[in-house]
Amino acid sequence: MNLLGNLTWSAIPFDQPIIMGASGGMILGIVFVLGWVTLKGYLPYLWREWITSVDHKRIGVMYLVLAMLMLLRGFSDAIMMRAQQAVAAGGAQGYLPPEHFDQIFSAHGTIMIFFVAMPLVIGLMNFAVPLQLGIRDMAFPTLNAVSLGLTASGILLINVSLFVGEFAKTGWVAYPPLSELQFSPGVGVDYYLWSLQISGLGTLLTGINFVTTILKTRAAGMSYMRMPVFCWTALASNLLIVAAFPVLTAAMAMLLLDRYLGFHFFSVDGGGNAMMYVNLFWVWGHPEVYILVLPAFGIYSEVSATFSGKPLFGYRSMVAATMAICVLAFTVWLHHFFTMGASASVNAFFGVASMMIAVPTGVKIFNWLFTMYGGRIRFTVPVLWTIGFMVTFVLGGLTGVLLAVPPVDWQVHNSVFLVAHFHHVIIPGVVFGAFAGYTYWFPKAFGFKLEESWGRRAFWCWFIGFHVAFMPMYVVGLMGMTRRLQHYDVLSWQPWLIVAAAGVAIIFAGVVCQIVQFVVSIRAREELRDVTGDPWNGRTLEWSTASPPPAWNYAVLPRVTGLDAFWTRKKLARVTQGESAPAREYEPIEVPKNSAIGFVNAFFAVVAGFALIWHIWWMVIFGAFGAFIAIVLFAFRNEEEVEIPAERIARFDHAHPAEVTL
Amino acid sequence: MEAPYHPAPGENSAPGDEARASSELLVYTTGLSLAVLLTATSFWVANTSLLWGPGVPLGLTVLAIAQMGVHLVFFLHITTAPNKTNNVLALGFGILIVFLVIAGSLWIMNNLNENMMPNMPMLN
Amino acid sequence: MNVAVAVDEIQPETLISYTETGPAPKRVVVGFGFWIFLLSDIVMFSALFASYGVLVNATAGGPTGAQLFNQVSVAIETACLLLSSYTCGLMSLAINSRRRIATYLGALVTFVLGALFLNLEIREFVGMIASGATPQRSAFLSAFFTLVGCHGLHVTGGLIWLAVMMAQVAIKGFRPAVERRLFCFALFWHALDIVWVGLFTVVYLMGVIV
Repeated sequence: MNLLGNLTWSAIPFDQPIIMGASGGMILGIVFVLGWVTLKGYLPYLWREWITSVDHKRIGVMYLVLAMLMLLRGFSDAIMMRAQQAVAAGGAQGYLPPEHFDQIFSAHGTIMIFFVAMPLVIGLMNFAVPLQLGIRDMAFPTLNAVSLGLTASGILLINVSLFVGEFAKTGWVAYPPLSELQFSPGVGVDYYLWSLQISGLGTLLTGINFVTTILKTRAAGMSYMRMPVFCWTALASNLLIVAAFPVLTAAMAMLLLDRYLGFHFFSVDGGGNAMMYVNLFWVWGHPEVYILVLPAFGIYSEVSATFSGKPLFGYRSMVAATMAICVLAFTVWLHHFFTMGASASVNAFFGVASMMIAVPTGVKIFNWLFTMYGGRIRFTVPVLWTIGFMVTFVLGGLTGVLLAVPPVDWQVHNSVFLVAHFHHVIIPGVVFGAFAGYTYWFPKAFGFKLEESWGRRAFWCWFIGFHVAFMPMYVVGLMGMTRRLQHYDVLSWQPWLIVAAAGVAIIFAGVVCQIVQFVVSIRAREELRDVTGDPWNGRTLEWSTASPPPAWNYAVLPRVTGLDAFWTRKKLARVTQGESAPAREYEPIEVPKNSAIGFVNAFFAVVAGFALIWHIWWMVIFGAFGAFIAIVLFAFRNEEEVEIPAERIARFDHAHPAEVTL
Repeated sequence: MEAPYHPAPGENSAPGDEARASSELLVYTTGLSLAVLLTATSFWVANTSLLWGPGVPLGLTVLAIAQMGVHLVFFLHITTAPNKTNNVLALGFGILIVFLVIAGSLWIMNNLNENMMPNMPMLN
Repeated sequence: MNVAVAVDEIQPETLISYTETGPAPKRVVVGFGFWIFLLSDIVMFSALFASYGVLVNATAGGPTGAQLFNQVSVAIETACLLLSSYTCGLMSLAINSRRRIATYLGALVTFVLGALFLNLEIREFVGMIASGATPQRSAFLSAFFTLVGCHGLHVTGGLIWLAVMMAQVAIKGFRPAVERRLFCFALFWHALDIVWVGLFTVVYLMGVIV
């Protein structure tokens, strides 16, 4: 029995210069950052204040950091694909052989959905929801840290697949029979499956955490109809997580059993049924897109109300639309495989349901428009992202209604038209929303705003670049181009694909602008400093805290009497310019204690995952056992909380005096 | 060092509350008796020839749902008290999802199988 | 704190609805969170049930359920699990009234009954495999072993958890954290019996009547 299972030196692709270059760059980057951090002596600080933190604000920031880093990798995949398709026409083969191209489009989808979009929305929800609810932390802060660790484990595994072994070549959905051992004998699909099972568990725990927090721990006086809309969308999104992710876990577990133990769930022999995987995958897959977009819709609600200086129009219908989407999300999944042989009755049911689900989203769009109508709009960067979303998403959504008609879908299923559609909804929906939320809450998290002009440049590059990149794909999709092509023979497609590649270059400029914005903002942070805690004249409770808020969020937990709780308080308040708050009674506050369990658990998850992929059975046992022991030891700890003395709270409050714009 | 125990609103057991405890015991015992009865009936229904054949699966389903209900009410204390509304709503949501997943999958997969070519080895 | 707010001017209403009482006590929060987790677990089982339902006739020329299942064994397993749910309830009562010996006794009986269930189930699996009815034989058998096996794995996890909890009671006593975890265990154990009701009805009983 080989001590390292199937792992040999041939796992490292020394003969593939592009991969070696990318891996080398990645490893150098990690070594450089780790080295710099160590030499500067930041490690104890990082360990104490970030890695072992269970504070939702810190965890939220860490999710966003992971997401932004993975965005760079997923976007690199996109650049490589557009470049390949721009040149690989007719006699030219391009620079990416099929085996490599297939891994790139698979990694692109997997990374963007699971390791960019999910951490973006989860990070923003983590940061903002407890603050908006007027509480000190999530219902289960340590579980929150465990979730972050498991997501990071999945990310580490998928990054290791770049230089140790290979990634799946099956697309981000990994349908059998192609993903069965018979047709994908390498480790690629195993990297995909284990990476997603591990991070999926983290996501499920996050779902449980948010549902419990929002339903059971809101501030006093905050009835359901006084909750900010972002919290409602967070609730709906996390209910969907709790309901949908177990199905993905089951589907992937069955595929793993087929691959590892020779079961016959989806195999071509033994009575297996590959369509069952497709069915179960999309039972998860459709709710997943709503998991991603609902929090973004919540951000748009907050941004449009705040920067119009008006309450959100139609709060009740927003709530109703959100919860309707939550339920309807589970009734449409077959539209992802209209062409797979179901009868007209089945296709018609799911086609009609898919058209119906556009209605609540339409209600939301109208509500945002009516919120802005008659308001005094401040065209800040979050508002730019919001308007860009409204214009773009509506068109993308319309192509979705087109696709919901089964006979139309039969013409364009799995063509580049479909690829254009889903990017046309997910980029303005989720990505623009995340950028809006990032800009909106950045001053709250770090105490200074992001620089405006670079933000504007980034927006316009993304907005224009997106359209230049994806509109040609509708055309070429209708001309018959299938998706995921490494090479094609129809030369009339090429001009359109060259335009699409140019679009990606413009988006790249946008990303550069965002990086520049970040650096410039840090350099100019004193001019951009937020001293009041309320840089936007906000409406919800998070703006009543200092920027950044203390670990305990609120010295005295707020008592809520209406919707837009902070706005209501500002109207009722006797404001004293420049004076500090009147004397209050400060009590000591207990905050959850830091814990290394998130990190330790993540470590053992990576060990076990890597070992499972390479069939290193003793290491699997070591990893699983290690995680178990760590959890048991954690369960025996004696102190769960740390008490913060009243004097420290008083000192913090007095250091942040009042100055508010009304 | 034990902290004082504060029963949540609507919770019906507290330490040292002997009178409540015996009513609790009655609840569990009633639940057990009902469950035993329903389980035994299930086994009988599956094995008897006294019932009309096609009705047996339906009967078993009804009995299974009844047994699950007994567990929910008598062991898990799912009631309609106001502080338990969240629990009931969550349960309702869960049941809806379970129904959609199972019924939806069976409908779709049966439909797909029907449309496969006859006499193919893959047809199951 | 950035606004000097006259909080005292805001009068709390005398009658407030249940949704406005503020954060719930920790025991309620933990119990609800675990309840949500249980519902997610049941959704996972439903995906496995759906697969079983789709593949139940895909025997690929191999043995069917009717040929393999032993109803006596299933009846004993059902009795063990149902009784263990009852004794778990008794254990919960003992925990609520802080009776240590009764707690250990309830846990022990629950553990033994659970272990008996597992013993019978493992025997069944071993017997089937020895006679050639392996999960690799057909899609039906793959689905059967996975669905029933997943439940068995949950039972195993529950027994390990119960043992660790008894160690916690012995070392830490009836602290609030320990009580909350025992409450969660009881929820878990009852939920497993609910899943078993579905299992024995759909897999075993319906499997033999067809």
